[in-house]
Formats: sequence, C-alpha cells, structure tokens
Amino acid sequence: MSTDKLTLTSLNRRRFLATSAALGGAAGLSALGLPAVAAEPAKPKELIVRAWGGSWVDSLKAGVSDPFTKLTGIAIRHDLTEDNEIQPKLWAAAAQKRVPPIHVNWDTTTNATKSALRGVTEDLSDLANLKTVSDAAKPVGVEGYPIVNTYGYVYVLAYRPEAFPDGAPKSWNALLNPKFKGRVGLYNDGIGLHFPAEVAGGGKLDDIPGNMQPAWDFFKKLKANEPLLGEDPDLTAWFQKGEIDIACTISSNAREAKKNGISIAWVIPEEGATYETDGLWVPKYLPANELYWAKAYVNFALTKDAQQVWLDGLGLPGVAVGLTPPADLVGDPSYPVKPEDFQKLIRVSEKVQVEHESEWFGKFKEIFQG
Amino acid sequence: MDALEALAARLWPRSFQGAVPYLMLLPAVLVTGLLAIGLVQMADGSLRTLDTATFLPSEFYTLANFKRALTERLFFVVASRSLYGSLIVTVLTLLFAFPYSYVMVRTPSTVLRKVLLIALFLPFFIGQVVRAYGWLIILGNHGLVNEALGLVGVAPLRLLYNYPAVLFGLVQYMLPFAVLMLAPALTAIPEEIEAAAGSLGANWVKTFWYVVLPLARPGFIGAGLVVLTLSLTDFAMPAILGGGSQDFIANAIYDQFFRTSDQGMGSTLALLLVAVGSMLVGAVFALFGAGTLAMGGRK
Repeated sequence: MSTDKLTLTSLNRRRFLATSAALGGAAGLSALGLPAVAAEPAKPKELIVRAWGGSWVDSLKAGVSDPFTKLTGIAIRHDLTEDNEIQPKLWAAAAQKRVPPIHVNWDTTTNATKSALRGVTEDLSDLANLKTVSDAAKPVGVEGYPIVNTYGYVYVLAYRPEAFPDGAPKSWNALLNPKFKGRVGLYNDGIGLHFPAEVAGGGKLDDIPGNMQPAWDFFKKLKANEPLLGEDPDLTAWFQKGEIDIACTISSNAREAKKNGISIAWVIPEEGATYETDGLWVPKYLPANELYWAKAYVNFALTKDAQQVWLDGLGLPGVAVGLTPPADLVGDPSYPVKPEDFQKLIRVSEKVQVEHESEWFGKFKEIFQG
Repeated sequence: MDALEALAARLWPRSFQGAVPYLMLLPAVLVTGLLAIGLVQMADGSLRTLDTATFLPSEFYTLANFKRALTERLFFVVASRSLYGSLIVTVLTLLFAFPYSYVMVRTPSTVLRKVLLIALFLPFFIGQVVRAYGWLIILGNHGLVNEALGLVGVAPLRLLYNYPAVLFGLVQYMLPFAVLMLAPALTAIPEEIEAAAGSLGANWVKTFWYVVLPLARPGFIGAGLVVLTLSLTDFAMPAILGGGSQDFIANAIYDQFFRTSDQGMGSTLALLLVAVGSMLVGAVFALFGAGTLAMGGRK
C-alpha cells in the first residue's frame, strides 16, 4: 500500500495551505470546536451528507445536521443512496479528479477503509475535537484519520420471545435448531456472523483469518435451516410480519423494531458477538471552502452534545466522552461502555476484514446459494 | 418559401440525398456506439484483478477473473439457475400469453377487448419492484393467501423466498411483454383462414394446431426472445422474492460491483452474461428466424 495516499503530503499544496489557513482563525466557530480562522471560507448553501434512511437519518438530523445548520446557516441535504452504491461513484469521481457528489460520507468503517486504502479520503487528523474523544475514534490499520469512527455497534442474536418459552437463547447454535427451519434471518453477505460462527463451529478467534473452516462448517449446518437472507429493512420487516423467529442483526435495528411495537429481544451469546464501528469521512477533490465546512460538520459530529442526541436515537455507544446511555439500554450488553463490557465482543481489524471480505463473502454465498 | 428552400438546399444539397438513409441510422449508431464503448471499458476492467491492499485494479492484464467465473461453484450455480429459470419463465409466459392475446384479438366484444387492453397496460404503470412487494403482501406468512387458507384450517405455507416464488414473479412481470409481442402476429392471421379451415372440416383443435400456431410462430419467437433475455438479466424478482438464496446472475454482478468492490469480477460476469444472452438469441435467430422482431424483413 502506498502510504502517500493516506497522508496530507498527497494533498495539493495550494489546497492544503488554503485549508490550513482556513482552519487557523475565526472565533465564531467555537461551538463547532474548530480552531479559529483568520478569514472564514465562503459558506456553501448546503452540504450533502450520505446517510442511511429511517431512524438512522432521523437521528443524524436531530443530533448533528439540524444543530449544525443552526450554528452555521448551512443547510444539510441527506443523500440516502446506499453506502455500497455511493462508493463506486466516489471512486470514479476521484479517479477523474472531479468534485464528488457528496461532502460527507456516513459509512461503515469497513467500507470506508477500502476508500481510505484507495486514497480517495481527505485526512481528518486536524479536527480539533479528536483530542476530546476516546481511542475508538481512531480507525485501525490505516495511517492518520482518513475516517473518524463515531460510534460502535454490536451484531446481536435477536429473537421473538414467544418462540423461546424456556428463556432466551444462550448460544449462536440456537440458529441451528430445526424448530426454526425457514424462520432464521441473516444478512445476505453473512456480515456480523462470520466471527461468532468461527467459535460456534468449534474454532478459535485466533484462527481468523488463517483458518475459517469452523465458520464454514457452521454455515453448512445452518443452511439446512433454510435461513432468509436480507438487509437491515428486510430483517426488521420479517420480524414484523412474523416470517422469522431468530436473527443476527445490529442491536439498533432490534431496538428500533421493539420501539415500533414488534415483539423482539436480544442477547450476546456465550460465543461472543461482532463489534463494529461506523464513521464519517470526506471525499477528495471538494473545493477548498466546501472541504473546510465538510470537515467542520465531521468535527461537530464528534461533540458530546451532538453525539448524545444522535446516538440516543440509535441506541449506540459513541466516541465522545461522558455520554449518558439511553434509559432502556443501561446495563444492556449490546451497549458496551466499560472495558469489561467489551470482553464478550469480537473485534477483528478492519484491514484484515477488507483484505478477506471478498473471499469470505464468496464462500458464504457459495454455501447458501448452492 | 423560396428562401427556405434555398436555405434547405444550401444546408442539405441534392447530392447529399443518398446519405439520408444513413443519417437516419445515426441515433441507432450513437446508442450502440455508447454501448460498445461501455463494453470495451468493461472488457478492459475484466482483465484486471482487484488489489485488496489498495483497492485499485491491477496494472497488468490477466485472465484470472474469467478463470474464477468459469471454475467457482458459486458462479456456476447462479448462472445455471438464471438460465434454467429464464427458459422455464419463457415457456410458462408464452403458455399464458397466447390465450390472453388470442381472446384480446379475436373477441367480438369491444368491452372485453378494452378490459383486456387496460389489464395489459396497467402493469406498465407499476414498476417491477412495486409489483414484487405486492407479492410479498399477498403471499407472505400473514398475507392474503395464507389468511384465506387459514379460514379453511390450513396452516400458513411458505409461499415466498424460494425458486418457485421467483419464477412466479417473473412470469407475472413478463406476461404483458409477451402479450404485446404476440398480439400483432395474431392480428396478422386473417380470421377467414380459420373459417376456411373449419369449413373444410377441421375442428377447433386441428385449426389451432395446423393453422393458428404455425402462423403465430413469428409472434412466439419475438415474445420468447424478449421474455428470455429480460428474465435472464432480471435483478429485482430474485432479490425480493428469493429471500437472498435464489440469486440470478444480475444479483451476482451487483454483489461484485457494489458489495465486494471488485469491479473487474463484476465486469467479467457482465460480459459473460452478454455473451451467453447473445449466443442464445443468435441460436434462436439461426434456427427459427427473428419472428416479429424482424419487422417484416427476411424471416
């Protein structure tokens, strides 16, 4: 990997100086946590922020976008293009040195890492609020801050309590129970389940990525249960329509479904559960003033006040220090706060994940499409 | 008027008249040219592998993507499913489309013809995705069909998220296309010929078998080709009604482009799909002609 893709040295010098100067003065932005700037760069009429829909964008709007607009007067337009689908557009724009179609990308850290490795992300190391957040904000496996992680989330084992009269499932092996044939929900790329499956299949986390056979064996057994494979909205809809009894899904989706009256509960099984992060990043080749304000948006998203509202809506632990957990998630293992909370969570380096994603995805598909 | 004619003559001299037919081809050439440029770019991409350290395509050319596409079981399974599925859908759609077209063309009732025409065109106003979601509502565990079955004591059946559900959705989606292609061919069969067959002693079955079907062949070929190629390349029905485990090749292409960011592999699969589709169409053309797609040209 060429390191110059990830550092400020690859920035056009003129743009770098302009941005640095812009980041260097001005008092009116103290609320944004930005350094003062000598001459505030021209404000764009709007910034375009890619986001996920539903409660995800609602939370971002309430916690970050609306307050940012109030402080700066810059309108925020949310682009709900799927993260996977915006990626090639951003890559194509960067390859042609065109202005990208969005200013800020709200992305999974895994996806964002690919963009960082490809060298299409601006370096965010100079954001003032990085000094105030926890280490979780720093992406692993890449230099500097091509992405800023903003919160973590857990892929829980969600279930319909009525289907478990004897109590909550304790192991991912519950997915294999023939009683749930045709009533199991998984992500259609297996995301979130690979690592617990490695353990449930008799392997060890240390074997990842060298020997994933235990995970494949687990998936082969799981195939007999004819699981439904989909995306976040599918999993929620399937619970809602009574199509499934048990699923591997992100805790915030399960919580949102519960808030909407769906009978659902979740656990962290004994094998552990995958912990991942999402983040924000700014694509290259924005005009200097827009780059400045895009960075200001990301910086603002790291403030405690913004994170408190944004992540209360999602029920996810943020990187800002001193956040108060939502009342319904106090003590919930899917909302890790203390070091001991993380002991049951599985975290694999993003670099390892992106290097092997295609291979793992292919194997998962081969098993479940076969 | 004279001035306009003089201007026209200056802009397009009489000696250019011979070029008019070629000029009329220009839009088609432009469209096809753009397609060809895209295919050339995809061909270039298909010969480059993804470097997962930089997520950039390789600098060198290699056939590794083609080797993967032709040897990995996943792609074989998905391609076979697409091919068999599109053949089944084509046969079933033609079976349903023929009686619909025949009644629509031959009915003496203006009201019935109008009803059938409205029913034919209405689905075109509703997108494929919306129609697929409609089936989710109708065929779901708590959908209309299972609710009705429940009334007679039948436990809910899993009607969705399997191969038959995908084929069912595709047949329903393709039916209007097939009717549209068949109807002109049936209209071109003079009613008098059927009457003549009857007056010569042929019963309805013989008339149908020896007169109507052979004369409707161009319609069957045209409709079959359209349904076959659209089904082979369909994305939405397998994605929505297949429950994630009944992917067609278009879904696999999407996954490569958008999920694993492997544009080289996605290009390879897309090119192979174009090649297989073209060979199928070429084989039909060679064996049976172009049917109604020949637009009255050489059969």
